[in-house]
Amino acid sequence: MQGSWIYMVWALCIFMAVLFAWLEYRRANKRFLLLRIGAALVAVAALGCIVLPIKYNSTITKSIQHKNILLTQGFNADSLPDGIDTSLITLDASIKKAYPKVKLISGLDELSKTAPLHVYGNGLSKDELVQLDSLPVILHAAKIPAGVSNISWNDQLKAGEVLRVQGVYNNTSAQKVKLVLRGLSTGLDSIILPPNAQTPFGLSTTPKATGKMVFTLNADTALQGSLPVQIQPVKPLKVLMLSASPDFESKFLKNWLSENGYSVALRSAISKGKYNSGYINIAQFNLDKLSAQTLAQFDVVIGDLSVLSTLSSTESDVLKQAVANKGMGLIVRADSAGKTSWLQKQFPVDRPSGKEPEPASLIINGNKSGSGKLAYGPAYIVYQDGTQPLVKTKERILAGLALYGSGKIVFTTLNNTFSWMLGGNKQDYTELWSVLLSKAARKNDEVKNYIQFSSLPVSNEPVVLQVSQGSSSPIVVNNELIAPAQNADIPFEWNASYRPSNAGWQNLKQGDKISTWYAYPQNEWKPLRSAEKTAATTQYAALHPNRHIVTKQIQQKVRIDVPKIYFYILLLAACTFLWIETKIS
Amino acid sequence: MADQGGLHKIQGLRLRWIVYHILEDVLLSLYAALYVGAIIYYLLSPSILWGIIVFPVALIILLAINRPWQMSGQKIAAFLNKEYPELQESSHLLLLPPAELNPLQVIASSKTDAVLTGLKISHNPFARRLVVAFISLIVATAFIWALGKIFHIERVFYGNNRPVAECAPMPKVAEKVLPQISSVNISIAPPAYTGKGRREQDKFNLSAEEGAMVEWHIKTNVAIKTAYLLFNDKEHVALKSSSNGTNWHATKAIISPGFYQVSIDGKLSDLYYTQVVKDSPPVIHIKTPKQYTYIDAGEAPKVTINAALNDDYGVADAVIIATVAKGKGEGVKFKEYKLNFAQGFGAHNAQYDVQKLIQLPALNVEPGDELYFYVQAQDTHKQLSRTDVYTVSVQDTAELLSMNGIINGVNLKPEFFRSERQIIIDAEQLLKEKDSISVEKFNNRSNNLGIDQKLLRLRYGKFLGEEGEDAIGAPSNDPADPADFSNAAKILKEYTDDHDNAEDAGFFEPAIKAQLKATLTEMWKAELQLRLYKPQAALPFAYKALRLLKDLQQKSRAFVAKTAYNPPPFKQEKRLSGELDKIIQPISKQDINPPADQMDALKKAVNVLEGLKTNPVLSSGDNRILQLANQQLGLKASAQPGVYLPALNAMRRILSAAPAKSKDVDLVERALQRTLSKPKNMPSSNANITDMGLSKQYYKNLKQANR
Repeated sequence: MQGSWIYMVWALCIFMAVLFAWLEYRRANKRFLLLRIGAALVAVAALGCIVLPIKYNSTITKSIQHKNILLTQGFNADSLPDGIDTSLITLDASIKKAYPKVKLISGLDELSKTAPLHVYGNGLSKDELVQLDSLPVILHAAKIPAGVSNISWNDQLKAGEVLRVQGVYNNTSAQKVKLVLRGLSTGLDSIILPPNAQTPFGLSTTPKATGKMVFTLNADTALQGSLPVQIQPVKPLKVLMLSASPDFESKFLKNWLSENGYSVALRSAISKGKYNSGYINIAQFNLDKLSAQTLAQFDVVIGDLSVLSTLSSTESDVLKQAVANKGMGLIVRADSAGKTSWLQKQFPVDRPSGKEPEPASLIINGNKSGSGKLAYGPAYIVYQDGTQPLVKTKERILAGLALYGSGKIVFTTLNNTFSWMLGGNKQDYTELWSVLLSKAARKNDEVKNYIQFSSLPVSNEPVVLQVSQGSSSPIVVNNELIAPAQNADIPFEWNASYRPSNAGWQNLKQGDKISTWYAYPQNEWKPLRSAEKTAATTQYAALHPNRHIVTKQIQQKVRIDVPKIYFYILLLAACTFLWIETKIS
Repeated sequence: MADQGGLHKIQGLRLRWIVYHILEDVLLSLYAALYVGAIIYYLLSPSILWGIIVFPVALIILLAINRPWQMSGQKIAAFLNKEYPELQESSHLLLLPPAELNPLQVIASSKTDAVLTGLKISHNPFARRLVVAFISLIVATAFIWALGKIFHIERVFYGNNRPVAECAPMPKVAEKVLPQISSVNISIAPPAYTGKGRREQDKFNLSAEEGAMVEWHIKTNVAIKTAYLLFNDKEHVALKSSSNGTNWHATKAIISPGFYQVSIDGKLSDLYYTQVVKDSPPVIHIKTPKQYTYIDAGEAPKVTINAALNDDYGVADAVIIATVAKGKGEGVKFKEYKLNFAQGFGAHNAQYDVQKLIQLPALNVEPGDELYFYVQAQDTHKQLSRTDVYTVSVQDTAELLSMNGIINGVNLKPEFFRSERQIIIDAEQLLKEKDSISVEKFNNRSNNLGIDQKLLRLRYGKFLGEEGEDAIGAPSNDPADPADFSNAAKILKEYTDDHDNAEDAGFFEPAIKAQLKATLTEMWKAELQLRLYKPQAALPFAYKALRLLKDLQQKSRAFVAKTAYNPPPFKQEKRLSGELDKIIQPISKQDINPPADQMDALKKAVNVLEGLKTNPVLSSGDNRILQLANQQLGLKASAQPGVYLPALNAMRRILSAAPAKSKDVDLVERALQRTLSKPKNMPSSNANITDMGLSKQYYKNLKQANR
């Protein structure tokens, strides 16, 4: 059929050519006869060429690259290149099931190491990337999956502290999502996230018990993952209070501390060289002179500026040493004493004369909600670099913190916080003094083992634990002795790899110290883990760029269509000539 | 007339058409209101207010567009002509006045009239649109109902199955009954004060009014030997058998909430709760007067007390207790009155609106006295409640008019303070003598008083920096000094006023100056009247000036205590040099233990329960912790059985059955989260990090670098 159609076109063209040539020849005016006949023939030939496909043979040179493509979870099938010379492989049995063309390999050592590896999808875990043996990798990352893609929370808490969960939720659906923080089978806090957006969120609650607790984060009803939290009970501090005269502020502070089981020693001057001393929950000793032994017993010293600045030079030196070298905390309550003391170097106090400011609510340690109103007096601290404001009103700093050696100095101009206590506002009083004392307090002797993870620890997946320890005592995880490797640069850092077999709390024993960490079940935090993998693979790809580009030259024969536009131009030119010729004749 | 019949018919049809169209408009606007209301109800706010607003608006718009009342008879006639050929296209002739018709038309019209009168015109063409509107309204109603009930349209927007943080009471669990029990009948007899009758129920969980008598009738399917009820794990109430060991009954007055179990032949049932509905005291709300009412002089001395009394069962009585306080300072006397409301409370209704009008003179309340009152109500359970004390005070007019301060003021008064009083006294004297002296003399004395008043005014004027009257424009007789020729300042001084010279003015506060000015104004007015020989008219102004002066005098008074002792000069070197070696330094030593945490057992239980989630088998140590928590929870449950009883049940199931069910653990955990209070955030120290002293060294060097 095809062939006969071509012949029919040819026959028609020849007939037309003959007809037009004869018509031109027959015309009475014989001007440009040959040209006219030629033009008619050209027009007919062009017409025929427009109708018929005209092709020619040619050879081109193609540079084709051999591609090793590794498919991981989350890849998009449409984004795969369809070349002849690609080999698709995967480590995931579920991908093999969905795409039978893909070759399933059991380990990364089966990969050919000749060509760079194209990774499609979420990428590989840190553990798998190590096995690649610095093979260059080009990552074609998948889209961020729906769910929690970033999360962080304070997993080590003290009783009474607030658990704050912050993160980013990627909501790909067209509906709002309600994110709920649950603990003890009760919804504790929730937030509604808008559709089709990546939204940061923050949730908070105060755990009501101590010990190990697992909170969960749910999006609508679907479980996102667990939030393991360890809550330590508060250990009472030892506080030494020095005051220039018996006053209400010290009295209320002493009562409040002692009724909560804290050890307090109090010395207040009642006359020249005469002191009233009190000892609560602490053995009695002589407080007339401060000595290094005395100060070593205490975590925090609270004193009036006038007392601390009129100490004898030996006592002053002892105090300085205790703060700078032993890490003791010092809380200074400003009064009208002079401004030359070493304690006040970083806290210049301004005391404008005139009306006292109106009572205002205080912002304690950045807590925006504010406290009850307090008449805070005219004095305030002028901010200097290197200090951290702890308590302030909207305009003025009322308490600040500065480092002094390994210890800290807290300076406050507040002298009537007891009025809160008198007014029954125990909560604000507790919050204020908790912040001041906690910030100042000496670090306790109990040494914390710090455990970090190379990636999110998940059951049945290997994870590298980074444990800090001073000695080289053996590390036992779940009664299983493991062999850690010491970091060459940081001598107290030890790395050990471990594969938790069950989800839940895991024990880590170092010498006689036991600490715990949590392994998540396989089905939790999936988006987070894939984001982690993508990040690890991106980092790996950046470290191992594809340097040697291996390409092959191939000669290939192809048939190419002649563009029809030339024939149209020819036809137009011929017809134009014929038309003009008739007009001018 | 025959003509009239046809015309009436056409008019009637027109009326029918109008009625149908108005009805149709009403239905259509209902339709619109339904849709708008439903959309807003489901999506924005659950209130039907919008639907109610939309309906009249839509109706007005539709009527304004359609204007069915403008339908003319002509159109009806045309319609009839078209629909009914037997009218022979002449029905419109009926509408024309008969006088205008030509004979042919008269014949035609009378013919048509007869046909039309006999014609039965169906409702169909008129009502068709009405029917359509009605059907669509029904369909719309069904559709909207379906949207809400079946498809739950609101979920489309808020996502389905939203989990809600659970703070509500525990989910209701079906009662479990011992197998021996075939039926139970509990009759509750509420106490008399509730005024309620006896009621019966067939469930063990019961809620009764405080003090109600509860009677249990338990039927068993087999004969049993012993049975009793166990209240709050300690109190036994024996069940008595009435016939052959299958019918048992017991009675108990329910006073406190708690839980109980049924024991049959030594086997205990599940826990059932008994909730107590307490009678709350009556609530009194006083609508008028306000907490503090001030009756000015001239207002009607009466108070209307308007109060609402509410109680959950019935108000038995209400009274007003009023106290009148008379006198001042130490001489205050009180008198108490008890006033009844006009309404009787015999009906013991749950709600009363009561009024009482108190005429203050009837209670002997005079100007300057105060009336305190409160309303006290008693309910049928003999519970009393009373309002705050309300105060009504009446303005004291006598004090305003007294001259006490002036007459018995300070002994030593400057001269000018006495003068205004003297002018008043003199003026009053003059008025007294008016009849006995000649007119001329009267006028003269009045004028003299006016002069005195003027002098007094000028004297006060000096305090304000006003110049003396004689100085204004008075030519100076001194010969001009030649040196002053063309001295502008001097010339200016000669021809201008030196008003309000700051140098001359006393240093008074602006408020005092204003008052002084007001005083001068009063003096001006008094002087004017005196100069017009009207001392009677001058008196009010003089009095007012005097009062203002008295105020000024009080304001400027300063009291300084007299000191008799002049201490000798202080020797600084002797300060703090006393011998203190005999003085013992006070030392106190205490050991204060923080109070034991009541919730400790429950807090420990939290950890055990968390552990049960992964490993549902209890160790013996954990078992002991849970036993303690169980006791605590039992106490809670006896106080609030409705809230904590399901958790207590679940806790007992965990303790008895080996593998704990996660549902039970959840139930208990939820109760614990509810019970436990937030721990206080107390100061604490951070732990050191194992770093072989690296950070310590760092901070040391940091300090040196900062130096």
